[in-house]
Amino acid sequence: MRYFRKRTRHFWTALVCFAAVAGASAAETRHAKDAETGIESWETQELGVNLSLTQMLPDQARAFYLARGFDREAAEAYASACVFQTVMRNESSAPITFHLGDWRMLRGKRAFKLKTEPEWQHEWERHQLAGPARIAFRWAQFPLEQDFEPGDWNQGMTTYPLPRGACFDLKFKWRMGGKMREGILKGVCCAQDR
Amino acid sequence: MRRIVKLLVGISIVLFALMAGATEPKQGLTVVADRPEAREFSLKDMDGKGWRLSELRGKVVLINFWASWCPPCRRELPSLERLWRLLGSENFVVLAINAGEDADMVFAFTGMLEPAPTFPILLDRDSSVLGNWPVKGLPTTFVVDKKGRIVYRAVGGREFDAPELVGQLRSLLRKEH
Repeated sequence: MRYFRKRTRHFWTALVCFAAVAGASAAETRHAKDAETGIESWETQELGVNLSLTQMLPDQARAFYLARGFDREAAEAYASACVFQTVMRNESSAPITFHLGDWRMLRGKRAFKLKTEPEWQHEWERHQLAGPARIAFRWAQFPLEQDFEPGDWNQGMTTYPLPRGACFDLKFKWRMGGKMREGILKGVCCAQDR
Repeated sequence: MRRIVKLLVGISIVLFALMAGATEPKQGLTVVADRPEAREFSLKDMDGKGWRLSELRGKVVLINFWASWCPPCRRELPSLERLWRLLGSENFVVLAINAGEDADMVFAFTGMLEPAPTFPILLDRDSSVLGNWPVKGLPTTFVVDKKGRIVYRAVGGREFDAPELVGQLRSLLRKEH
């Protein structure tokens, strides 16, 4: 009887340890709202890879690109999109690679691709935007693909083909140790026009 | 029962190990294993002086790609100046290559930095050098050894005067080649 009780105690101890570790490792989306500006941000970490999205207001996007040589029409086209300042950090101890083409925006049961920098560049060609404006645009966007060694990170803008105020989950993927990994940012919402 | 306990403990250990893999952001440079030859470039600095990478053979050259509108670039430039003041006399060159902006814009921006940069800032107006180097985003930094090979890389902002990073550069400077 005593032997049975001892084994049962071991089982529960192991179960509690497992639940504690599993609970701590479950990636949660942390949400914050700036009290002054009302700008919202979302952040999560999965397997040592950290991703955060911070809303970019239409005024911010418009001002940024007007100051870099965009004409009003082109600046307005970008400002009307759903834009986030995006930061990805490799805080794990292994190298990773990612490609934005693998990332999906989830709305209900449907999955959509992000609007990437080369797609925007086709529009800027039609607008006949000058070289310096397009150079600034290229380097201000989050890279289409990149390799991160441990400690590497990057920051840039990502855009989503959604109206202002719309919400979605973002499934982001990366390759680590030969395997495709993924995480989810939940309940991300595009900034409203103010 | 014993098998279930072992399984739970095993899974807990694996999960803990994965969590422990997430470390504090490091400030060091990543070793570039295959040491590729650094691509040649020729650019002018803010004073109109020409700089050609191949003419710096025999020195350790830190090349930082940046833009004034890039937040992490803005944050790391003062630390790059502190590094330059620390190692600038030791056969060490810092070249900060600006992406696509004109001299007036760069001058107005750097004047606001504390400490203001005294290392050469090169203007890559058409971003052709940027496109020719393995750069995907800004800032990206490379260290070229005395033989003209890329030996270190850093993607994203760093504190260039962090002890770990200074130690890596001092060690490289001590090497003959």
